[in-house]
Amino acid sequence: MADVRSRIAEAVAEFEDLDGREKLELLVDYAAGLPPLSPRHQALKTAAEGRVHECQTPVFLWADSLPDGTAELVAEVAPEAPTVKGFVAILAAAMAGRPAAEAVDLPEDLLERIGLADVLGILRARGLRAITARVKRGFLQRP
Amino acid sequence: MPEYAHPDVLVSTDWVAQHLTDPKVRIVESDEDRALYVQGHVPGAVEIDWQTDLQDRVERDYIDREAFERLCSQRGISNDTTVVFYGDKNNWWACYAFWVFKLYGHEDCRIMNGGRKRWELDGRPWSSERVSYPSARYLARDQDGSIRALRDEVLKHCRAGKPLLDVRSPEEYRGERMHMPDYPNEGAVRGGHIPGAVNVPWPRNCSDDGTFKSAKELEKLYVKDLRMKRRSPTIAYCRIGERSSLTWFVLKYLLGFRNVRNYDGSWLEWGNCVRVPIAKGDEPGGTSAGPSTAVAASTDGDVRPAAGS
Repeated sequence: MADVRSRIAEAVAEFEDLDGREKLELLVDYAAGLPPLSPRHQALKTAAEGRVHECQTPVFLWADSLPDGTAELVAEVAPEAPTVKGFVAILAAAMAGRPAAEAVDLPEDLLERIGLADVLGILRARGLRAITARVKRGFLQRP
Repeated sequence: MPEYAHPDVLVSTDWVAQHLTDPKVRIVESDEDRALYVQGHVPGAVEIDWQTDLQDRVERDYIDREAFERLCSQRGISNDTTVVFYGDKNNWWACYAFWVFKLYGHEDCRIMNGGRKRWELDGRPWSSERVSYPSARYLARDQDGSIRALRDEVLKHCRAGKPLLDVRSPEEYRGERMHMPDYPNEGAVRGGHIPGAVNVPWPRNCSDDGTFKSAKELEKLYVKDLRMKRRSPTIAYCRIGERSSLTWFVLKYLLGFRNVRNYDGSWLEWGNCVRVPIAKGDEPGGTSAGPSTAVAASTDGDVRPAAGS
């Protein structure tokens, strides 16, 4: 099974050679693929756990470890924020089924690598960078 | 029942639905999240992005007149086109784009009341088709300084004790510390408000469905309660000028204020300036303006503290 590093490389390759509009379309496709919350996470959300307070858009993230030791990034992002949602979906797909320690290979500059930084502008790019940092911290700083 | 001062600048979703293919009308979406337009827009609408289309890429300013003419031309907008703006976030960016179009003297600008939210609530269709129009001929005017306030003008205005409106959340206005982990220091280095500014958070202009409040409600808020005068020169600001362009729109077009300007530099400029006065706390005059002030860490596009913004 491909590791996080090669999955990120695949995602970057997927975005390569697309124009700005096509990149956003692909991001919207990713957003549509983010699964809905399980009942357990729905309950956590109701208990107001997992909220990313840095984000104006309601974003809930959980960096979970499954019993077999693999990582699972669970997230819910408001439908009015498909950019954030698509971006989180890329991170979730990269981490699925891999050891949490591989989160170290999630690049902080993913948005630049997929060529969306210019399409979105500098101010928006900062918020997404913060999300990557949050996800990494969630997986790497376990008690 | 009182009417808006310029009711013609506000159109309903119903009006837009009836003018989707009207060649004299161009519908323009402006969003905080650009992917929303890609995901689905009002059929036939073009997108104009506040950041990548309207801002100069090098200097912190708007695109110049020639670039604005090219932008309009590419979007199939000519001088006599009726341009209807709408978007997400209660039409913040729609009002911002509207304001930039007015800056360059576009005659017929309108806002679709309620924006994306109202269109969605009405159950109207979204389209993900790519939209393009034959390029049009466009000649812009020089910037209209009467609707834009620059820093030195704001300083003068502040010192003269003239009306200033801060439309940010109360937390931002008070200049409370907002520690945000993982953030580069990308906001203002000082927190608080411009001395004398009254805090009227922008949501007070809007109803739950995203539409503007009635003329009567707005009149009560600004004229009766706050005792603001339609004749008084007034400046509105927020963090980067998008929320204040919504308030600017309300004051100028819905209430008929004669001299209202948007300070687009807003707190991201003021809170970084050397030797400009800052007030902290709930009062317009501030409770103290000591040097050991908090850092108001917040970004401007996607991310901002949730409360009230």
